[in-house]
Amino acid sequence: MDPRRSIPVSLFFTCLADAFYPRTAFAAVEVLERFGATVRVPLSQTCCGQPAFNSGNRKEARAMARKFLLSFPGDGYIVSPSGSCAAMVKHGYPVLFRDEPRTLALAHAVGERVYELSQFLVEVLGVTDPKSDFSGKVTYHDSCHLRRGLGVVEAPRTLLRAIRGVEFVEMEESDRCCGFGGVFSLKYPQISCRMTEHKVERIVATGASWVTSGDLGCLMNIDGMISRVGYPVKAIHLAEILAGGPAEPAPGTAGKGTP
Amino acid sequence: MQPTAHLFPRNAQKALADKTLQAALGRATGRFLHHRAEAVAAFPGFGEARERASEIKRQTLAQLDHHLGRFIEEASRRGAVVHVARDAAQAREIAARVAKEEGVTLAVKSKSMASEEISFNVALQEAGIEVVESDLGEYIIQLAGEAPSHIIAPAVHKTREEISRLFERKLGEPPTDSIPALVAMARRHLRAKFLGAGMGVSGANFLVADTGSVVLVTNEGNGRMGTVLPRVHLAVAGIEKVIPRMSDLPTFLRLLPRSASGQPLSSYVSVLTGTRREGDAEGPEKMHILLLDCGRSAILEGKYREVLKCIRCGACLNSCPVYQSVGGHAYGWVYSGPIGAVLTPLLVGLPEAAPLPDASTLCGACGEVCPVKIPLPDFLLELRADMRSQGLKTPGEIAGMKGYAGVMKRAGLLEALERVAGLLAQFFTKGKPVEGLPYPFSGWTERRDFPAAAAQPFRKLWKTRRGVQG
Repeated sequence: MDPRRSIPVSLFFTCLADAFYPRTAFAAVEVLERFGATVRVPLSQTCCGQPAFNSGNRKEARAMARKFLLSFPGDGYIVSPSGSCAAMVKHGYPVLFRDEPRTLALAHAVGERVYELSQFLVEVLGVTDPKSDFSGKVTYHDSCHLRRGLGVVEAPRTLLRAIRGVEFVEMEESDRCCGFGGVFSLKYPQISCRMTEHKVERIVATGASWVTSGDLGCLMNIDGMISRVGYPVKAIHLAEILAGGPAEPAPGTAGKGTP
Repeated sequence: MQPTAHLFPRNAQKALADKTLQAALGRATGRFLHHRAEAVAAFPGFGEARERASEIKRQTLAQLDHHLGRFIEEASRRGAVVHVARDAAQAREIAARVAKEEGVTLAVKSKSMASEEISFNVALQEAGIEVVESDLGEYIIQLAGEAPSHIIAPAVHKTREEISRLFERKLGEPPTDSIPALVAMARRHLRAKFLGAGMGVSGANFLVADTGSVVLVTNEGNGRMGTVLPRVHLAVAGIEKVIPRMSDLPTFLRLLPRSASGQPLSSYVSVLTGTRREGDAEGPEKMHILLLDCGRSAILEGKYREVLKCIRCGACLNSCPVYQSVGGHAYGWVYSGPIGAVLTPLLVGLPEAAPLPDASTLCGACGEVCPVKIPLPDFLLELRADMRSQGLKTPGEIAGMKGYAGVMKRAGLLEALERVAGLLAQFFTKGKPVEGLPYPFSGWTERRDFPAAAAQPFRKLWKTRRGVQG
């Protein structure tokens, strides 16, 4: 990485960060700027359309995808604090537009620019030390779409291990789905919760104080059960750990009672 | 088999509440997964074999008529009588007719999922012929009057205690908690059946076109005994089981046992080619092969063709967290787990199996383990889109999706709604997590909290702190 060169990055902040966890998006910006990125935030972006696509409602998904494609003109990088949303643009859009050659070409072009945050930091910027002053015992949950969708397995672990104050501990079956699955969690809440229960048991068994991941969907789900049961572990997005800790108290136990 | 896939939501709930089933499922799928992972790690050529197997299957399916024609020709030349059934009714009719014409009164059967599709046992029993399952797991569930709940471990949902009680009741055996003792009991009862059977029935893991062979991959030896001891052998198989050449078989044999049970090779691989020839020490005098179409030709013509690559290893079941949670019976037909969620709608009709494509988080674990690279998650997505285009979605879901897409058209409207949500969250929960959401979101909050909306959305905060630089 050449520190004199500025790297143009457009932040694809995702609707979950927008509506529920603004601190995650701010943390992503902070980390990107720390490593020389010039961050733009296109405010015309809304939702990538994944909930509609995953539930088979392709007409609606296409409408949202078109809007997304127009919200990110140019040729700079597009970075997202979500493996799932990034995978939607990279792999979902080509399916949505397979019968529209011109939009398909645009979707491919935009998709090539899209990276998940940890992937971008490690693979593009070559970050080996995130220069974070976070401290605590941390375990990592592989988001399905980050791991199997984008093939990003090591980048988040590399970053976590490089933080001096972080004691990184792997949970068993870290790559097993947490049970969120978007609309799945509403259509089959009991099955979803059985899976979440399994995941939370694995997290708690590590004795970590923090569980982190590259996707707010997983964290919202995991934290929902942690918060309800009152487990002594907090869910936090990787971006916030990289930024150096929660600007506001973490979701879950500590988050209760704070704005 | 009569599909009850439309009852998946109810049956899944029952399965979740069944403590015995939950314990059995956790144990069995965990063991299979662990063994598979070890076997794959110990075999560096797995990835290459997987690519080759996928490609062989893809090419075979592209010219299935040709390869099937060759198989029929070669098998017939070696003395087998090949029958082709268009649908389940015709398959049952053929099976019963063959058994009657061969004068069979008792048949022993080794494991065959395809035979479950056509309710094979019922067909023969209605024709007055006794059929005894000889695979240990299948024997257990036949005694219990149940259906298999796993492709390779049909009685995976049963504990040894349950099996001992079953043997006590049905076979008059004394109670025991020893698995070897249970196996010995089953063996004793089955041995008599093997010796008395006029016909052995099997499935087929592969049909080899250039030799006309039926290949069986088993662990218990019942498949071999049942196909060489009785006078007649009847093999029942889907038309997609054909592979072009005997030289293709090793590729699949490297993949199937490793993916299924984590074994480098199964205990038995039987290559059954034609009837007993002069000088053969064993083998059937008569061999019938019943090929099932039963909806496969229709799949072959459409966008789901690659699902016919399936070699029925069950790895996708073991790897699926939904299968791990609810087991096989909840899926309501022959095939369960991810392959069932794709195959059942295609074989019995999407309206009858409408809940299945949604029964997945799209986590991708199935696609990752599939030894023939079937894009199962993509197919689940495709089926969900078919649900919409075939009018099988609820009006509520469609209205919800239209509303959501309408909001997302305009960032300004989204921001306004986010700010209202933020105000509501401050007003109702003071920014604390929400413990009860209204329908259709109520399922979420039964056992989980839902985050409060941020007092102000990111897009607003960003404008405030950094200004609008687009």
